[in-house]
Amino acid sequence: MSTSSDRVGSPVVAAPAPSRLRRVVTNQQFVLFLVLLALIVFFGSRNSLFFRTGEFSNLLTDFSGLVLIAIAETFVITAGGIDLAVGSTTAVTGVIVAGWIQPLVNHNVNQAVVLLVGTLASIVIGALAGGFSALLITVFDLVPFVATLVTYSVGAGLALVISHGAPVGYNPGAIYWSASGVGMVTWLVAIVLVVAVTLGVVLHLTVYGRYNFAIGSNEFAARAAGINVRRHLVSVYVLAGILAGLTGMFFYIRSGSGAATTGVTNSANLVAIAAVVIGGASLVGGVGRWAGTMLGAAVLTVVSDGLIFINVPPTWIQVVVGALIALAALLQSFRRRSRRMT
Amino acid sequence: MTTTATRQPVLELRHVNLHYGSVEALHDVSFSAYAGEVIGLVGDNGAGKSSLIKTISGVNTPDSGEILVDGTLRHWRSPHDSMEAGIETLYQDSGLAPDLSIGSNVFLGRETRRRGVLGRLGFVDQTSMEREALEHLSRVGITISETNRTVSELSGGQRQAVAIGRAIAWARHVIILDEPTNHLGARQSAEVLKVITSAREHGLCVLFISHTLPHVLEVTDRIIVLRLGRVVRDAPTREFTVESLLGAITGLNE
Repeated sequence: MSTSSDRVGSPVVAAPAPSRLRRVVTNQQFVLFLVLLALIVFFGSRNSLFFRTGEFSNLLTDFSGLVLIAIAETFVITAGGIDLAVGSTTAVTGVIVAGWIQPLVNHNVNQAVVLLVGTLASIVIGALAGGFSALLITVFDLVPFVATLVTYSVGAGLALVISHGAPVGYNPGAIYWSASGVGMVTWLVAIVLVVAVTLGVVLHLTVYGRYNFAIGSNEFAARAAGINVRRHLVSVYVLAGILAGLTGMFFYIRSGSGAATTGVTNSANLVAIAAVVIGGASLVGGVGRWAGTMLGAAVLTVVSDGLIFINVPPTWIQVVVGALIALAALLQSFRRRSRRMT
Repeated sequence: MTTTATRQPVLELRHVNLHYGSVEALHDVSFSAYAGEVIGLVGDNGAGKSSLIKTISGVNTPDSGEILVDGTLRHWRSPHDSMEAGIETLYQDSGLAPDLSIGSNVFLGRETRRRGVLGRLGFVDQTSMEREALEHLSRVGITISETNRTVSELSGGQRQAVAIGRAIAWARHVIILDEPTNHLGARQSAEVLKVITSAREHGLCVLFISHTLPHVLEVTDRIIVLRLGRVVRDAPTREFTVESLLGAITGLNE
């Protein structure tokens, strides 16, 4: 095939591509990777205890509590939506599941059965929460911001009502299980990472992921191409709900109880959205990478844990996170402008 | 006309009527369209052009009348049905997904899957799609150096050329183009008109809807004029000038 793009008499399409080096250097994921390495070196140089395997294991666990809802937001945001509900879905799932499986724990039912029942229950509850948002969006035509704000508020309220404001249940067995594993990677973290990688594959290599980007990029074109846009959007919000529900189960396993504050008081929904934005996604939809979200979540985890490690008051963490979002957004607009100039 | 009379039309409308409530959008519309023919569909705003193409593409269901594709009577339940019957429609401003690659856009909604188990799991075969997209587009005269670049990196005319190339690639009988040269400059319009000509060479029937009468006169073989939901003229393009066409559209010289 001829690479000449100026053959006489033919419409000319596509200007020459910028050099590979330029593409790598201006690649948001590449820059993020360097930032992540720099942060690790910085925190390690200020306090060498940061490099202990125990701390690394803590980082991985904190990362796991964020990464599933961050990937949920990646699917929703690249499809042109937003999901503010994930934080409270995490909370409400945690308190409901904790209440349901506490009797099993009290009767000394096999730990594996307890965890399996809890996981299935969290998937169902999460799917219901996501389905409620999807209903408001696709049937009642609410914009995603408002629809998921409704779900967020209902979920946060229900979590408080159900838990009476106190942690629900106590299952120390769950904690023992979550802490075992191979080396620094606990079983709990390993499972979360497998789910995360699977979702990355779905987003970038399958027809489902392709439809996701197409809808976020131009909903009308997607519909004209025969894609069932409504069905896809329903599935995306249900998926986001399920991932938030699984995150609720994750925190239950980690702490052995469910609390209405989990995912709500730390604004987990906004942290997840921050991870996606730092990862280079566009809030208008159509643009975003799984790898970017993974790195964004890693950077946010290292910053929040690292600042505590070097004795910065936790109250300052949100200020630093804000600065990171601003930097990421500036980098993105710089890249867009430099691409237009080539 | 004697040559076309013996052939079977690829698209035929018989006495099609369409109402929106009490508003009559199409009244007793009948015409035949043949393979290798570019037909201009013109009319003032509200003349029924959009209603007509939406009826042909399955967005609207006619109240009465028949639509035949390649001699077979058809009833559309959705636009998807008309696509399966070989009719591709490029709506005004529907266009492409700008953040996807050119190849992904050509195959949008019809993704090639990988072979075997991976394909059944929904894995796309990106390499073969990019390669085939390049072949499809070069066959209709659109030269592309790389199909893996995103559509957002193309100019307006280039995007429209790719969108039409995509429609040609998938249409078996008819492509409907709704104002494809809207918002385009002279040079970009020329690119688009060239692609329309190549659709004719591929044995497709093109329904070309446009307000830009010089474009219609330049590229079509036959012109159908709609006024107030009725077909008021259906004649070979050589019988029209810009003035007489304008007269037929407005009804002022009758």
